Amino acid sequence: MMYFKLIFRNVKRSARDYLIYIITMTICTMLFYAFLSISSRYYRPDIGREFDLSILGGGMQIAICSVTLLILFLIRYVNNYMLLHRQREFAMQSVLGMEQRTIAWLFFAETFVLGAASVFSGILAGMVCSQFITAMLLSAYGLEYRLSWMLFPDTVLLTICFFTISLLAVGLLNVRTIRKIRIIDMLYADRQNELHTGRNRYMPTVTILHSIVLFGMILSGISAKYFYFDSRFALPVHIMFHGIIAAPLIAFVWPVIWLARRKVWGFERLVIIEMLCTFVSLCFSASVPRICSSYYLSFGSSTLGSDTGSNTYLMFLLADLIYLICGIIYLSGEAICLWKKKSPAYTYSGQNLFFFGQIISRLTTTAKTMTLICLTLVLSIFLFLAAPALTGWASGYLDLRALYDIQISTSYTGVYQESDLPSGNYELVDAFLEEHDIETAYNCTFSLYLPRREEFRNRVKLDFPVVAISLSDYNALREMLGYEPVSLKENEFVMQWKSIATREEQEEFMREHTVLETDAGTLTVAQEWGNEDALGETLYNRYTDVIYVLPDSVCRKLLPVMRNRYIQTAEVIPYTDALQLEARFLEEYPEVPVDGEGPNYYLRTRTNQVNETKASIFITHASMTYSGIVLMVICLTVLSLQQLLDASKYRYRFSVLKKLGVDENEIRKLILKQLGIWFGLPVSVAVVAAAVLAAYFFDTITAQISAYIGFTALLTQVAVTAGILMILLVCYFISTWILFKKSVGDCS
Amino acid sequence: MKLVLQLEHIQKYYGNEGNITQAIKDISFSVGQGEFLGIMGASGSGKTTLLNCISTIDTVSAGHIYLDGTAVTDLKPKQLARFRRENLGFIFQDFNLLDTLTLEENISLALTINKTPLEKIGPRVQEIAASLNITDILSKYPYQVSGGQKQRCACARALVCDPKLILADEPTGALDSHSSQMLLSTMQSINDRLGATILMVTHDAFSASYAGRILFLKDGEIFTEIHRGNDTRKTFYDKVLNVLTMLGGGHNDVF
Repeated sequence: MMYFKLIFRNVKRSARDYLIYIITMTICTMLFYAFLSISSRYYRPDIGREFDLSILGGGMQIAICSVTLLILFLIRYVNNYMLLHRQREFAMQSVLGMEQRTIAWLFFAETFVLGAASVFSGILAGMVCSQFITAMLLSAYGLEYRLSWMLFPDTVLLTICFFTISLLAVGLLNVRTIRKIRIIDMLYADRQNELHTGRNRYMPTVTILHSIVLFGMILSGISAKYFYFDSRFALPVHIMFHGIIAAPLIAFVWPVIWLARRKVWGFERLVIIEMLCTFVSLCFSASVPRICSSYYLSFGSSTLGSDTGSNTYLMFLLADLIYLICGIIYLSGEAICLWKKKSPAYTYSGQNLFFFGQIISRLTTTAKTMTLICLTLVLSIFLFLAAPALTGWASGYLDLRALYDIQISTSYTGVYQESDLPSGNYELVDAFLEEHDIETAYNCTFSLYLPRREEFRNRVKLDFPVVAISLSDYNALREMLGYEPVSLKENEFVMQWKSIATREEQEEFMREHTVLETDAGTLTVAQEWGNEDALGETLYNRYTDVIYVLPDSVCRKLLPVMRNRYIQTAEVIPYTDALQLEARFLEEYPEVPVDGEGPNYYLRTRTNQVNETKASIFITHASMTYSGIVLMVICLTVLSLQQLLDASKYRYRFSVLKKLGVDENEIRKLILKQLGIWFGLPVSVAVVAAAVLAAYFFDTITAQISAYIGFTALLTQVAVTAGILMILLVCYFISTWILFKKSVGDCS
Repeated sequence: MKLVLQLEHIQKYYGNEGNITQAIKDISFSVGQGEFLGIMGASGSGKTTLLNCISTIDTVSAGHIYLDGTAVTDLKPKQLARFRRENLGFIFQDFNLLDTLTLEENISLALTINKTPLEKIGPRVQEIAASLNITDILSKYPYQVSGGQKQRCACARALVCDPKLILADEPTGALDSHSSQMLLSTMQSINDRLGATILMVTHDAFSASYAGRILFLKDGEIFTEIHRGNDTRKTFYDKVLNVLTMLGGGHNDVF
């Protein structure tokens, strides 16, 4: 009975001290429950026969659980602090004769009750929060929001299990720790001085690790040059190839030079110059995907910007960025020391001396935590910023490609004999539709032609031939999609463009192709030469963004290389039928030819495209938002707790200040300044780093943004996200400030 | 002799109606400039409460305190901080040094808070450090020096602003006997050489014997008062012990 009383007294006391931690745990449980509720078996929002939500389940669960595992670090961090602060009390209990085992279990029970209370309130809050998630889901599927009941037994069970296991795991570790500490150590735990334990080895270790990465960069730069370099490349490519070897080489060699003269040059000099070199190397790494995509270079197994080589360079870019952030945090401590030393007029005025002492002692001892927080914040902010771009891209792209209920397209890249080129009208589709009572509203089977037969053998990626469509087929497609038909004069042609092609690219291409040589004679470009109406992405040849529209008479004399068929049905094809149709088509027309040679056939139904894309958009958006919020909340909690949990130390320092005759107002200002630096430094470094990263990311997908999202829409989304982050930060800052003032004020 | 501190019928009550504790019943005394006054008393006799009232950290329930002619008890809360930093110097049992600053910075802090011009800070700190024999350790942090050195640094911090009154609360409480002796000699010398006025609260007869006059408190009132006069420290120490015996108790560990 006494033990229960003890546990509940302690819980009550701790609840006040660890308020921020409890709130964070509640928020995390709330988000966990809300996001997971969508994957529940019992979740059945009315989204129509053409959608299937089961695709969401697995992906969501894995993504959310793995991100939430990070909560373990937070729980462990807070528990370690609690342990440290309570050791004297544990020692007293031991001296009074309580077994260490009992003490450990009492502590375990206390932390468990705290955690369980947060989880319980989190689930309740989660029920409300999941309404927002449903609204998000319904809007992703283009439906209106309706209120729905959200207490799902399986999600509740999963949430409870997940958090119970997490709390148990950390709790048991604590039990082990407590049982192992000697009483004498516990008794004097609070007298150990953690400050000024000399310069830590953290930054040298990071520099060594970074040098290893630099070595890898040099090696991959050399191998890239050896395998993929060609002297005929343009100048920017030359610069890139040499830069990705030279920049990391300089950054690698500099520490070696420094080692030889380390007694004369301080460690700060090593870090500053290394950071400059790293910055240059980072710029080169960043240029790789950009240059690869604009010059159609390949650095690895597959093609374009997504190849393995570019991904490696994205990794290098991240490694460089991490080093730069570590350096900035490290140097900021040094910079403040230098500031203190170099400007005595500022240092020795008012309370600045005290303020410098507060900041420097903290920065030097917690540089590692600060860097970790900063990096996590960068990731969190980046996730927030990238989410709207990625999902906007995917949904915009969906609008442009899912134009027909059924799209059959072909590719001739695997065909080497003209006789093997695709032909026929894909009659099995008609049979299937008839079988399932699906009526067709529009139907168009057409060929795409090569203007000149000799181009059939041209398979050079940079110079891939543009194909042509006959005017009647083109107009039939336009009619299907509700566009006005176009007309052509004799011996004229027009161009149809993909929406990703910019106006400049179109004009440049037009200027170079005002006259078109074909096997049926020469054609000139019409006055109204270009159309941009979306006609689907399967209309174009590989690596090209344009097709020619030629008179029917000309097309009849050309070589047809691709055979496509687009169908609009009278009503939407149900999800299961769409899957069946795709499977049946695949049996007869394989996507990859059986013996490696022959045409590739593709059948896409709008139902399936929409379903898959919307599900993946939703998973991406939900997971990125969830991860962003959870990471951010964890970081802010650690920042806040670091200040609040050390309040006893600060309480003492501020009371000394007060006894020396500093008034309350000044002390309040000092507290605000101290918290401002504590929150401001990692947050501002992270905001700058994330902004640079996001700007780079947006820059690499400029074409996609302008084609599928639109810059204004993206900017609005980014502004809204930034606003939400700002509100979160302000909330945490203000609550920390109030609690801090209260705990410092209590004693003074 | 000019009076630095005057206390007139000080009373201090704690608690609320029905449960009132009277920490100080009625105390009046005065301290002259350059005096080294000791205050002794058992636990609960009210000596710390008295010190807190003089140092303006606590307020009195009745009576008046004048420091250099200023009625401390009439000061508004906003004026108190300024009054404290300009007129009082503190030496505490647990040193109260800031672990984030070096000894030099700890001493300078008192000057910077007092808005002393920059060019005067360095020389003043050096001067006071030299007189307390801590020049060599000025660049060290508190955790790098011994208890005695820390307390001498605290003395320097209390002295550096030339306060009208130095308040010392059990300054030797956390020191070993050698360090205590060193510190007390230092305090005596700053009293003699620099003419500082010191009010020291202690329950240790040895420490008290360094003072020029000792007030004995019992249950919130002044029990008696003895002067050192021309006695040697040894004789004065014996006198203190006699009073303690009179207060009731054994030889050394009365309190």
